[in-house]
Amino acid sequence: GMAGVAEPQLAALRPGMPGPALLSVLVALLAVAVTFLLWRLVQARRSRRNAVLLLGLCDAGKTLLFARLLSGRYRQTQTSITDSSAVYRVSKDKSANVTLIDLPGHESLRLQFLERFKAAARAIVFVVDSVAFQREVKDVAEFLYQVLVDSTVLKNAPALLIACNKQDVTMAKSAKLIQQQLEKELNTLRVTRSAAPTSLDASATGGPAQLGRKGKDFDFSQLPMKVEFVECSARGSKGEEGDADFEGLEKWLAKIA
Amino acid sequence: MLDFFTIFSKGGLVLWCFQGVRGPAATAPVNALIRSVLLQERGGNNSFTHEALTLKYKLDNQFELVFVVGFQKILTLTYVDKLIDDVHKEFRDKYRNEFQQKGALGLLNGTFDFKDDFLRLLRDAEESSKARAPTVMKTFEQSQKSQKTVKCMIETRGEKPKEKVKNKKNKGSKKEGTEAVAAVSKASTGDKQPPAAGDREELTKDEILQKNREEFFKRHMKAGEKSRSPKPEAQKEKGKKPRVWDLGNSNAKVLDYSNSATNGSAEACPVEEFDADVALGDRNREPGRLYDLEYESDDEAEEKVIQNPSKPSAKKGGLGGMFGMLKGLVGSKSLTREDMDPILEKMKDHLIAKNVAAEIAVQLCESVAKKLEGKVMGTFTTVTSTVKQALQEALVQILQPQRRVDVLRDVMDAQRHRRPYVVTFCGVNGVGKSTNLAKISFWLIENGFSVLIAACDTFRAGAVEQLRTHTRRLNALHPPESHGGRTMVQLYEKGYGKDAAGIAMEAISYARNQGFDVVLVDTAGRMQDNAPLMTALAKLIAVNAPDLVLFVGEALVGNEAVDQLVKFNKALADHSMAQTPRLIDGIVLTKFDTIDDKVGAAISMTYITSKPIVFVGTGQTYCDLRSLNAKAVVAALMKA
Repeated sequence: GMAGVAEPQLAALRPGMPGPALLSVLVALLAVAVTFLLWRLVQARRSRRNAVLLLGLCDAGKTLLFARLLSGRYRQTQTSITDSSAVYRVSKDKSANVTLIDLPGHESLRLQFLERFKAAARAIVFVVDSVAFQREVKDVAEFLYQVLVDSTVLKNAPALLIACNKQDVTMAKSAKLIQQQLEKELNTLRVTRSAAPTSLDASATGGPAQLGRKGKDFDFSQLPMKVEFVECSARGSKGEEGDADFEGLEKWLAKIA
Repeated sequence: MLDFFTIFSKGGLVLWCFQGVRGPAATAPVNALIRSVLLQERGGNNSFTHEALTLKYKLDNQFELVFVVGFQKILTLTYVDKLIDDVHKEFRDKYRNEFQQKGALGLLNGTFDFKDDFLRLLRDAEESSKARAPTVMKTFEQSQKSQKTVKCMIETRGEKPKEKVKNKKNKGSKKEGTEAVAAVSKASTGDKQPPAAGDREELTKDEILQKNREEFFKRHMKAGEKSRSPKPEAQKEKGKKPRVWDLGNSNAKVLDYSNSATNGSAEACPVEEFDADVALGDRNREPGRLYDLEYESDDEAEEKVIQNPSKPSAKKGGLGGMFGMLKGLVGSKSLTREDMDPILEKMKDHLIAKNVAAEIAVQLCESVAKKLEGKVMGTFTTVTSTVKQALQEALVQILQPQRRVDVLRDVMDAQRHRRPYVVTFCGVNGVGKSTNLAKISFWLIENGFSVLIAACDTFRAGAVEQLRTHTRRLNALHPPESHGGRTMVQLYEKGYGKDAAGIAMEAISYARNQGFDVVLVDTAGRMQDNAPLMTALAKLIAVNAPDLVLFVGEALVGNEAVDQLVKFNKALADHSMAQTPRLIDGIVLTKFDTIDDKVGAAISMTYITSKPIVFVGTGQTYCDLRSLNAKAVVAALMKA
């Protein structure tokens, strides 16, 4: 009956069943697929963005901030010509940690290093020299603009903190003033930089990205990432012996970790 | 004796510092060293002068350290090189653990107590330089002086002391000596012969005095006849005739062919027909935008710039032999000079073939070698790839502008202060100053700024007419009606033969009165060796203090670029009265479409001046103005 029908079918199947060679090929393919998936998973975990970049102009105080955050001591510094990175424990009890990366601020190096590390950035700390800000406002704004219109930065939208450093000096500008001036300057830069070419093939990308909203004056709230301003002093009010004043910075780092 | 000795990491942390007794703080000179030498790839020789100090440095590329010693410029200390080497070795060996294991945290937390070791090494170095075996003095018999007789060493006035051979009996040689003396002696007239050498030895002191007295009287009596010098002098005419220049007699007015009524008014001349499309070139473009240089950039080349050299590179291009590959696979190899030399030679030739000036290619390769010496390569990287990567980074670094390049922003600033923004173009003959000036004024007009062109080329025939034609065309492309009734471009000219600096000054005040935003000053082309013309250019720039001094150079130039730029800068520096002289602020690279990928001139020019390339000219139409794309240029340079 039924079994009788099934048996010849089974008998017909048996010679058609995959032979040992074909079977081994299938197993091999499966193994490759599994390895591939595992490898992608591992890569994804490795490339999880865990870095906090310290950017800024030359002499803004990035390397000293880096040293203070990691070791608490005051160190003498020179102009950096390469990056330094180390793991920073956010607080004693939590196990969260981020990788602090201090990038050189010199004009000939800054864009190269930014290219290298921007993909791994979870957050960016842009250090500003509050004392020399009035003189350097155009240069600060230009570097900030270059960071903000970068395609990778726009895509990942890492949290941005603008640290107004050197507050221990009496002539330092406040964070509010720096924010206002930067907004005004970036507003103008939008216009002039879109009239001049950007650093990549213009024909390919169709021009630089638009910063903020067209028609309205530029505002930091128009950006896709969260922007905060904080005042700090890497040297500290007590000079080289005392601690640095950067509670706002530490709190922010704890928040984003 | 030393002012200071610092050891710091390349990341910027000072690990240890020794301050000499009265030396100032080490930070500022070392920063100057870093910025001028290391970052500008001038690391060929290892010493640098900053104000009153000489700085010598050494790089440790394995652990990323820099050793710098500073001492007064006037001292020449011979032990410094040895001292740096010794300190380097000892420091590295002592703190090897910190560097290798703990990385940046080791540098931060470690205490580097090196003072005692350093003082010991310094003492050793100083002693080794002083302690040379005292040379044994020669005895009198051994010296040459004993060979001469006393009499021959007596000098008489007017005669030079003669060097005597040991053999004093050789009269032939003495006679030659006499003739030589006769030729040398200045007061020799035809008849006065110095006494034969043979006689000289037998003269006593009194006889010499007598002889001198006689000569003295003879000389005085001959005073009148002295004027008849043996040299034949051409008989010049009595009195001087004034020299007549070809054009000097005629009045300047005769030479002035310009129509005096055309200053400032474009309507006085008939508008000729011109095809806007031909002038504009590419119609399909956004108005006011300055496009970037287009290059078929090799994707692989771009990835190489980004990729971290310590990560295993999948592309094992160019294996330096199986042995090298195995060595690279097995252990971490540190680069030595011998490994790098053949590759650097090849890269240097490659750069020169791409039109980089020869001396700059040499300096660049030296600097890259210094930066890589001793560096530990990661696994799966070959020497060739490491060197190429380092060279590529160095080239990109050179092409990055050291100051902001945003002309529009500065023009806006000047607009706010109600003064015109003055740009001066200078360069040698025939590089394209007037053409690119027209392109730049077109770009500025498209962005809504009004331009005054000052025709300060008062020498070349047709220079003023050329600019007038450009002005007419630009006004036809951007008529006043479309800009609120304001003429966007005007020409300020005073014809030919006049002083360029004066015309520039008048043009600037005219622009200020009429409210023009930008003044573009066109100067005559001049060779860098032509001293009077260079002085005139320096005077124009010093007197008028322009906001931007642009040097226009063509991309075809090869080794000449170095000479041109050096001499132009020198002329500007020499003739300016100010403390900080105005030098060239930027470079305009023209005729870029005529070179395929031999783009080395860009590197030569930026290396010499360390100033950025502001514009690149790629053709003859108004839209052929681009801005420099560093990555694309370096990709073209490194392409095989």
